[in-house]
Amino acid sequence: MLPAFVLERPGSLEEALGLLDEDSVVYCGGTELLLAMKMGLLRPARLVDLKGLPGLSRIEVADGELRIGATVTHDGVARSPLVAEHAPFLAEVESRVGNARVRAQGSIGGNLCFQEPRSDVTTALYALDGKAELLSADGVTRLLPMEDFLLGPYWTAREDNELLVRVRIPLPAPAGVYLKYQISERPVVGVAAVRDPRSGGVRLVVGAVTDAPQRYDLPADGAADVDAIVGRLEITEDTGGSEEYKRHVTAVHINRALAALNT
Amino acid sequence: MIPEPDSRPVTTLVVTEVNGIVVRRTVENRQTLAGFLRDGLGLTGTKVSCDLQVCGVCSVLVDDQPVSSCTYLAADIDGRRVRTVEGLSGGERLSPLQQSFVDHFALQCGFCTPGFLMMATALLERNPDPTEEEVIDYLDGNICRCTGYRTIVDAVLEAAARMRSLTNA
Repeated sequence: MLPAFVLERPGSLEEALGLLDEDSVVYCGGTELLLAMKMGLLRPARLVDLKGLPGLSRIEVADGELRIGATVTHDGVARSPLVAEHAPFLAEVESRVGNARVRAQGSIGGNLCFQEPRSDVTTALYALDGKAELLSADGVTRLLPMEDFLLGPYWTAREDNELLVRVRIPLPAPAGVYLKYQISERPVVGVAAVRDPRSGGVRLVVGAVTDAPQRYDLPADGAADVDAIVGRLEITEDTGGSEEYKRHVTAVHINRALAALNT
Repeated sequence: MIPEPDSRPVTTLVVTEVNGIVVRRTVENRQTLAGFLRDGLGLTGTKVSCDLQVCGVCSVLVDDQPVSSCTYLAADIDGRRVRTVEGLSGGERLSPLQQSFVDHFALQCGFCTPGFLMMATALLERNPDPTEEEVIDYLDGNICRCTGYRTIVDAVLEAAARMRSLTNA
C-alpha cells in the first residue's frame, strides 16, 4: 500500500512551478516514483502531476535542435515521425526500454530526473550530446549537458524549485548502434556507438555498469583499446552480475557495437 | 524526514469509463488502479502478482495504452477510458483472441492469461499483422510460469489472421 499523499494536477506550467517545494515530488508516469514509494524509499506529502500540461508533451524541431517535451512517453518518442526523421538512433533505443507498459507509461523526463544508473535513455543522450532544459519558479532557464545534469545514481542537478521541461538534441544527430544485454526490465550493460556527423569520429558510450555513463571519443575507424577501457571502469556489482562478469560482458558488447558500426 | 500531514484531501473524484460503463467515484490518491478495479468495482479478472510492473499479470488498457495497473494510480483514470479482460467478450461470446487462446491451449493455470490477453489486444490494435518476432518482442514483459509461451504466440498470430479476415470480409 502506498502512503497517503495530496495529488496536485496543475493546468499550467506556472501553476506547476508554484507547487514545487521540498515536500512535493514531480509526478508523471510513475514507473519509477510509485515503485520507490511502494518500497518506502520516498514518502512525499504531495505529488505534482505534469500530465495535464500540454506544453510539455510536444516534440518539435527548432533552431537546429530536436526538442522533446519532458512528459512524452518512451513509446511516444519511439513512434514520433519527427524523432524517426531526425534522431532514428534515439527512436530505436526508446523502442526497447523496459517493457511495452513501461514504454507506454514512463516519460523521457521522468527517466532522466530519476536517474536510475541503468537507464538506456541516459546512455543514448550522452551519445547524442543531449541537454536537459530546466526551468525554475523564478523563470530562470538552465541548459545542462548530460555530464553536468547527471551528478550520480538517483541524483541530478535539478533543484527543488526546477522542472525539467525539455530534452534538446543538436541536429544533425549522429546515427549508430545501441547494444544491450538485459535479463529483466533494466539493462546489465548498454553500449552506444555513434558516428559524429561533423568530424566522422566515433563516440562510444558505456552505460548501466557504472554510476554514470562513460564516454570515449574514438577515431573514424573506431580503433579502441577495449581491454584498457573496461579495465578502468568502476563497475557496480548487483543482481545483474559480479564485477568480473560485467567487465567481460561489457567488453563483448563494445567489440560488437564497434564492429556493427563499421559494417 | 516524514513531512507534516497535509490538511488538504488525499482523495480525488474520478469520472471514467470502464469497459464502456461510466463510473464516478471518489478514490484515495494512493489507491492503485488494480486495487480500484478489484476491490472498488469487483472486476477481479485483473490479477496482481509481482507488484513491480515486471510480470504483466495486471495489464489493462487506459486510453488504448497498456499499463501495469499495480503501478498506476486509480486517480489517473479520471477523464480516461479503461478496458479490462472483462470487456473483451460480448457476454458469453469470446472475442477472437480469447477463442484462439482456447483453441491453442494457450493457458494452463490461467493466472497470467488476462495480462497476456490485454497486451495482445494492445499489440493487435496497433499492428494487426505482426510477425512472430514482433509478437514475442511485445509480449516480452509478460511472464507465464507454466511455460506456455509457444502456444500463446501461436494463439496471437492466429487470432490476428482471423481478425484480419473478419475485417476484410
